[in-house]
Amino acid sequence: MGSNTFIEVDSYQFSKNGTHVCGDVFLSRKVKDENRVIAILSDGLGSGIKANVLATMTASMALNFTIENQPIQRTAETIFNTLPVCGTRKIAYATFTIIDIDCDGETRIVEYGNPSCMIFRRGELFHPEWKQIAINRKDTRDKSMYITSFISEKEDRIITFSDGISQSGMGTKNMPFGWGINDINKFAKNQIQRNENISASALAKNMVMQAWKNDLMKPKDDTSCGVIYFRNPRRMLLLSGPPYNSENDKKLASIIESFPGYKVVCGGTTSQIISRELNKDIQVGLSPNTLGLPPESKMEGVDLLTEGILTIGKVSEILENYNGEDINQDSPAHKIVKMFFESDEIDFLIGTRINNAHQDPSLPVELEIRRSVVKKIIKLLEDKFLKKINLEFI
Amino acid sequence: MEKKIKVKICIGTLCYVMGGSELQLLEEHLPEELKKRVDIEGSICLGFCNSNEDEKPPFASVNGKCVSRASITKLINQIKKELEDGLH
Repeated sequence: MGSNTFIEVDSYQFSKNGTHVCGDVFLSRKVKDENRVIAILSDGLGSGIKANVLATMTASMALNFTIENQPIQRTAETIFNTLPVCGTRKIAYATFTIIDIDCDGETRIVEYGNPSCMIFRRGELFHPEWKQIAINRKDTRDKSMYITSFISEKEDRIITFSDGISQSGMGTKNMPFGWGINDINKFAKNQIQRNENISASALAKNMVMQAWKNDLMKPKDDTSCGVIYFRNPRRMLLLSGPPYNSENDKKLASIIESFPGYKVVCGGTTSQIISRELNKDIQVGLSPNTLGLPPESKMEGVDLLTEGILTIGKVSEILENYNGEDINQDSPAHKIVKMFFESDEIDFLIGTRINNAHQDPSLPVELEIRRSVVKKIIKLLEDKFLKKINLEFI
Repeated sequence: MEKKIKVKICIGTLCYVMGGSELQLLEEHLPEELKKRVDIEGSICLGFCNSNEDEKPPFASVNGKCVSRASITKLINQIKKELEDGLH
């Protein structure tokens, strides 16, 4: 696996019609110092809160034990013995799929109870060798885990999903026995053929949306899909703050000019520097937006020009409160967040010249220090959204 | 064709939080007869906040002349003044 491969992990889900909490849980974690990516999908018995509790416990335990490199048999037994027994059904049950990718691309998948994941390589299904492992369960539930291991390559995709997907459509005229593995394979293959760069995010969503349609817009079960895509990173550059030393103004401009990806400049003074160095005009907007932030501006060669500290503060807030919703609002901060989500590797180039006017004690609002807000954003992007971040102060 | 009065509204952070956000709506508050005589645009920091200690934000400029502690009313008055001066 090349060193320039980015592992994009994303998921999408719908809860069973009529429930407010999804009984499927998808977790992912990037273990930074090991350069390791771990994703877990768990489907709790039943639906609603009870199922969510089972799935959450299972997924968290699976994740933590995997990070600690516990033997998989021990992980499974601990989970089975810890899950609370359902009062009605008299058993404790949740499925799990564990996908563990190390820094060399060595990928290990452990499956218990979930439909087997699809692995796509160069547009075709890839079938590694699976080993069956017997496990000890007191009740009559599944007694086998399936394990495989292989080296991932760039452009590989791993698609894991709960039975809400494979069983969608069951009982309808079109698919009386549900969507079925063969047709699911065909659907996923077709999605990848139509757009060979389709993001993990879009593919996961499309799978779930199709299952939703199969169920005539009323999901019969919790429906989840997680996708891992080994891709060329989509890059983004965010500039904010004038360089401490104005001799570096030229450097700032040349970096943004040659950057291959989304380019965003936050701040009036910074924008003026770029405008002057690159000899490009700024068209300043004046229309209000939903958040009441200062309006955005346009410059040729830059995707978005916004005000500085207020906008960045809002970006931090949106990221912190984000819970899976679609981003549709028109404010400059939302636009930046949307671009973050569509990128894999984000470079922050932050100027450290202090803006004295911001420290005026008679200001009606407290303007945070740019540096600390940016650090907060970076932490969220890394931990919550698994992005790769490069930070440089200038 | 008479030259239009150029109004620039600073949307820099300082001006914006000190009342500049309301100035965005200047166009809606202009009396009918003034609407076609005025060109309103936003501007990146005009630098007034750093240059003059005594003048207070929000800042705007009308035909290049700095208007401090700008308000919709103040700007309309300055626009009218420019039109009158232009007739002499």
